[in-house]
Formats: sequence, C-alpha cells, structure tokens
Amino acid sequence: MHRPSFPRVACLLAGLVGVNPFSSHAAVKLITLPPRERVEIQLDNPNVTLVEEERIVPLAAGVNDVVFAWSNANIDRDSVQFRCLTDPEQIRVLSVSYPPEGGTLTWQVYSPNAGSARVRISYLMGQLDKSFMYRAVAASDERSLTLWQYILLHNQANEEFGVAGMWAGFGERFERPIGIAETRQLLAAKFENVPIRKMYTANLAEFGYLDAGKQQLRIPMHHVLLNDEANGLGKFALMFGKARIFQDDGRGTVAFIGEDWASFTPRDDELKLYLGVAKDVVVVRTIERREQTRVLGHLHDIDVIVKYEIENFKDQAVDLDIVESMRALRAEIRGDSPRDVEWELVADGTLTSAVNKDESTADLAAFRVTLPARGADDKAIKVAHTLHVRIRNEW
Amino acid sequence: MKKYGICMLPLLGLAAVPSSARNVDLSTIPPREGVQLTIYNSEDLTLVRETRTITFKRGLNPLQFSWANTLIDPSSVELRFVTQPDRLELLDTTFPHDKPQMLYWSVHSEIDGDAQIEVTYFTSGITWSADYVCISDTAEDTMSFEGFVRITNQSGEEYADAQVRLVVGTINLVEKVRDLAARGLVSRDEADDFERARGRVSRLGGEAKREMLNEIQLGFAQADRVQSSEKAIIKEGLSEYFIFSVEGSETVPQGWSKRIRLFQGKDVPLRIQYRFRPQEYGEQLVRMFLLRNDSASDLGTTPLPDGVVRLYRDNGRDGLSFVVQQPVKYVPVGQEIELNLGGDPEVIHERVCLRTWRDNFWFHRNGANVYYSPDQGHRIEIHDVVAGWDEHHLWSERIRNYRTKPVDVEIRRSFDGHVLLRSELEATLHDFRSPQFTAQIAAGEKGELEYELVVKNGYNQKQSNVTLEPGK
Repeated sequence: MHRPSFPRVACLLAGLVGVNPFSSHAAVKLITLPPRERVEIQLDNPNVTLVEEERIVPLAAGVNDVVFAWSNANIDRDSVQFRCLTDPEQIRVLSVSYPPEGGTLTWQVYSPNAGSARVRISYLMGQLDKSFMYRAVAASDERSLTLWQYILLHNQANEEFGVAGMWAGFGERFERPIGIAETRQLLAAKFENVPIRKMYTANLAEFGYLDAGKQQLRIPMHHVLLNDEANGLGKFALMFGKARIFQDDGRGTVAFIGEDWASFTPRDDELKLYLGVAKDVVVVRTIERREQTRVLGHLHDIDVIVKYEIENFKDQAVDLDIVESMRALRAEIRGDSPRDVEWELVADGTLTSAVNKDESTADLAAFRVTLPARGADDKAIKVAHTLHVRIRNEW
Repeated sequence: MKKYGICMLPLLGLAAVPSSARNVDLSTIPPREGVQLTIYNSEDLTLVRETRTITFKRGLNPLQFSWANTLIDPSSVELRFVTQPDRLELLDTTFPHDKPQMLYWSVHSEIDGDAQIEVTYFTSGITWSADYVCISDTAEDTMSFEGFVRITNQSGEEYADAQVRLVVGTINLVEKVRDLAARGLVSRDEADDFERARGRVSRLGGEAKREMLNEIQLGFAQADRVQSSEKAIIKEGLSEYFIFSVEGSETVPQGWSKRIRLFQGKDVPLRIQYRFRPQEYGEQLVRMFLLRNDSASDLGTTPLPDGVVRLYRDNGRDGLSFVVQQPVKYVPVGQEIELNLGGDPEVIHERVCLRTWRDNFWFHRNGANVYYSPDQGHRIEIHDVVAGWDEHHLWSERIRNYRTKPVDVEIRRSFDGHVLLRSELEATLHDFRSPQFTAQIAAGEKGELEYELVVKNGYNQKQSNVTLEPGK
C-alpha cells in the first residue's frame, strides 16, 4: 500500500514567530510537526462524525501561526475548532485565516510565554461513518435468544488515526486502531437469554392472502423481543441494521434461518424480526354474515361476522395474533368511504374476550389466541373463531 | 508585486483628456494612504473609501483612475477633495469607450501643491458572514456561546491595512453591484471580455498562483504581528442598522477569508422544550434549546446577524459531541434564540386514535328545505338523508421520557373546518385553527395526553375554526 511521506492531516507550527510555513520568501524554514497525542472519534451523531485530536504544540512568546492542513481528507473546513487546554485564558486564538485553496487554515495564536501547550482540534469528517448489524441465535425451543450488536466502522476518509477512542452514543467507549479504507466490526453489546415470543400474525390488510382462491391468509412469522430492562435490554434504543438470525439446532451447532432489517427500536418498544411465512399454521378467513339494519332515514348499521378457521399442524401450541382493519373490512363489504369507521364488538363473537387492548386502535381490532398442538394422531385440531363487529352509522 | 487592481495616475504633460492621448505618456502613481471598507451582509456590496495625496499644478490636471479585473461599479466612483476643496474643482468625468474599467477626471486647480483626495466607490465580492459556536455543559443547563465574523475577499483587489466596518441590516438596491461591475459603462462584448479576464485570474495556476498566494499570505500574517490580543469589535447601532467596527486595520488579500471573534457568552442559561409543530418542524417531536439574547444571559451586546450555529455538547468524558448545525435568522437584542436539535431517541412520541364515533345527526327531506333532528324530537322518514353530523375522535398523544430529567412538551396542531377540542389539558389557541397545550413528563415516565376532537360536518358546520372546551 502506498504510504504518503506527509501526513494527510497535519498541524504545522512555524518555529519562528512571524515565519509563515507556506511562504516561499523564507529560504530557510523550520516547521515543527506535533504528532497526535490523543484521538477521539465521536460516532454518536447519526449524520456526521466528529473527530477530536490533541497535540502538544510548542509556542513562542507572542503571536504564533499554527497551520492546520489536510489533503484528500473530507474535512468540513468551517467546522474546524481550536481549543487550548493549557492555560486557555492566556493562550488565545486571535483570528483564523483561510487561504483561497482548501485543505488548510492558519490560526494566529497568542501566547504570553514560550512553552508547550496541549491543544485540542476538532472537526467534522465525512466518509468516516458507522452502521450496525446484529447476530441473533435463538435457543432450540425458540423462547429466548442471544443477541450480539456490532458496530461497523467504515473509514473512507483517507486518513488513519492509529489507536483512537470511539463512542457510538451508547454503551462503553472503546479504543481501536482504524486504517485507511478499512471497515472494522466491533462488538458493541451482547445480550444473553433475552426472552422472545414467536409470533404468527393473521392480518389480511397488511399481509394479504397466501391462496386468495381458498381465502387462506399469509401468516408471517416473527421473533419478537421487547427492548426493556425486564428482558435484559432497555438500556438504550436499538439502532437500525441488518440482523442475521440463527437457531440452536440442539446438536451443538446453529442453523441460519434468515435475516431481516432490524428497525430503530426505542426503549420499551418491540423489535420484530421477520422469519418467513408459516406453512404449518393455516388460517382461512371468510365473512360469515353481513346484515344491514336501518337506524334512521337512510342511516344504517351493518352487522358483520368474520370467521377464522385455524389449523395448527405443528407439534406444539403457538400463539396467533389476529388483526382486523375496520376500514379494510368496511371496504370489503360495502366499498370505501371517506368517513372513519365507527364500530363496536358484539359480545357473542368468540374473539371479543380475546381482545388485545394494547394493540387495538380506532381502526385496528387486535386479538391473541392460543392454538393447540396437533393431536396424537398427527391431525391438526381445527379451531374456529368469530369476530362479530357492528359497523355503525353508515350511509 | 501586483498584477492587477486599482490604480490612480496623475497624467503629467497632458493638457486634455484622452481624446488627445499620445503614444508616449508620463504618469506618477500616488499610493493609498488609507482605506476604509464598509461591508454589507444583506447585499453583495462594499463601500470603499480610500484617500490619496496628489500634487496638483495650477490649471487643468487630468487624473486617470482604473480598476482592471475588479468588481467595482463604475457608476459609483466619486472624487472628493479632502483638503483645499475651495481651490480645486472637478470639471468633468470621462469614461473612455475603448478602455473599460477606467475613467478620467479633469480637475482645475488654483494651487500648485499637495491636496488630499478621497475616492469612494462600490465593489462587490467582499462579503462577511457570521457563525456561532455553542457548547452546552453535560447537564444541558448552560452553554458557552461564541459569535464570529468572517470576511471574505473575492473582489479582485487587495486592500492592505484597511479599516473594516461590517453593517447588519437590509438595504435596498435596484441593481446588483456585480452586474453593474460586469456591464459598467461599456458594451456587452467588452463586459464579456472582462468576465473572461477575471476567469483567467481566478484560474491562475501553478507557480504563478502559488507565488502570488505566498506573497499575500505573508502580508496577511504580518499584518497581525503587532497584535497581541484579540481585536475588539466596537458595536454600535445606527438607525435601522448595526455596525461592527473592527479594531485597528486588516489586510484582506484577494481570495482569502479571515475569521475574528465578535463576542462570547460564557454561561448562557438555556431551557429545553420538546415541540410538535408540523408547520415549522415537520411531523416529528423535536428537541429545542431556547436561550435569550440579553444581558441576563451573558449575551445581548449586539443583535445576532444571520449565520450558522454549530452546537456541541460536553459529553462528560473530556470531549465533545456534535449535536447540530443549522442556520439562524437575525436575532435582535432581547429576543429568544431557538435551536432545533431534531428528534430525540430518548423521548418518544406517538399519536394514536383510540376511538371514533358519530352523533348529532340532522336529516334533509327531499323537496323541502327543512332539516330534522331526532335529538330535537323530529320524526325521521325512511327516505330522509343525512345532512349533518358530528364526528368524534378520541386522540392520545403518547410521550415516553427516557431521559434522567423531566421534559417539557408542547403539542400544536392545526385543524380545518368547524372543530371543537374537548380536554382536561389546559389548551390554548395559537391561532383560530391551531390549538396547543403543554405538559411535563417526569423522568423515566410515560404520559398520555388525551383529547376529543369533534368535527362538525355538513349542515352542522357553521364555522371554520377551533373552539376549546374543558372536559373529559
């Protein structure tokens, strides 16, 4: 790899007061190149990366030109800040000069005495960014998983920082070297024995039919984990990133069972990782009844019974979430309308007692039912549930 | 070394203006003795005032003033006699057709000796801008607030040791100085030649450019050599304007920028508020830092000109976190400064419609312009159609606060039509259609801010505004 003989980001100091390092007039020039003493890369902002570096700069008494120069590094010149950590009340920046060409600036720094000063230079740097990825290994019983969260640090900034401290905005600060054009994967956090729920969902409006002719619904499967402290998480929001999902096969190895994009998950929210479509849980949805009752004038109510015939061909019981969009249901039975749906559950529907209030809204009616495992004769037990809803005050 | 720029030549031996110019001229070049730059930030405009001393002879004195490869508006160039004004007279000004960016003054003198003159003109290409660096403490109770001004010279001329004054405020121009400089008092073709010439200068490359830059950089650096403290910037109001006068003098070489601190507030108290205002901030709850440009906040020495704020936070680990960079508009003394930090993953906001229902129906009977309501005891016939109704929506604004301090939240929404907002929240009206309410959510707590919206439709709609009503 080609290594430049001159650092891409450098802090130069004219060794004599009044001698400008770029001046061609000085035939004999002395320029000191204070190396970096410390580098911190702040990755907590989702959009930009802040680099802070400390250098020990020898200053003469009087006004010093401190030149900060970079080449082929994507530094936002307007963001470059100079702070003196040694005697900041006395050692001051008088002004900053920006030459016409980019990649350099000069601080005029006044120091009352000769001596070294520790200075901190901070700047925003492009093409030095991060992303997140996850590795989830579910236990063989699919009741818990171990979750690894990784930070991928991508350095396309054309600058190497040696061993730099980094902080992603959560968790512990860590120190790693990062070279030019490198991507480094760092373990940010590991969460063990996180309880999960395997979720099967019947939601026609969102997921549609698997077989429209038979009115068989597509039943997606998700691993659901709650980002809260009770489940060993909840210390911070989980960032967006790719999640690769594995499962313990019970023989000491793991099997890859798919991957999904993990959405940004605030604390106390659920993270759902999509696993695919269930083939062993069959749900056939039909509208069993549609009856219109006049209320006043042409104002009427519509009585609707939606019937779900469900078979679980698995050898274990599973929970099924049934979600019905009332707007979609009304469109299905009478065409759409600009008005929101006024509806109420009628007590004789079997799902009325299984309502999931936390997930229900003015539009969505949500229920959770448990499906028994297939019988000893390997036959699935067909379960029928009814959603009896009265859609009110339509015209 | 200067290969272009402004030049003033008393023409010796010439009895008349250029119509009688000969092939052999003799001239002297009186240097600038002083320059003052008054730079406006609302327009690309700088007023240059320069003084020179010229030796006049009795009788007619031709003066040539030229400004090759600069951005000076030729129609703005004026000559004034600082000394001996009673004995010197400007007879006429000539803009030669064959020499762009040049004029001749014919001056009649009753003296034989020196006189100081002042030349003023407008130029474009010298600009200034403000920027601000704010660093909040770890607890986000106070911040340091530093303001800077940055002067940039792209005018094509180097003004050495200039007094610099910066003007904040809006002025009216009917034509842009840059256009006037390009068009000037010459033909379009000549203006194009001028633009091409400027391009050649700006594209100067290699050794020539480096040599030029090195030279001006040296001069630039040396101009500050005698200064051992930050330059004071005197701030003073003038009518509708505010003027910053930079202490001493500055050399602003062509192509360079220079940044100087304008003011510093060390412990500026700040208040944090979370706002939901879709018209201002989009469909998200945003975190705001609110501070005030007044003396009680260690600020208020000057209005804050339009500029860019870069906000950092002390991250508590001997370093900074970058928070946001955003433009701010002019902030008068005494006004609040609002910094929008964007969404906060530690404070989650959701809006959920919990329930919808309808009532207060009115019916219309075909053929008669009469409306009937069952609630009024009217009889409703089978063919009566709905003509008016109230639609109720029960909304919940759910806030989750994962921060270690309570947060103040303000929700403002706008509704069209005839709307009644009913809530236990102490709502107020921002305007006729925009109710707003505030709440405080304790650290680590969740809040549900519920309200009922009643939208009156059809025959029931009598207004187009929002009415507030206390209640559940």
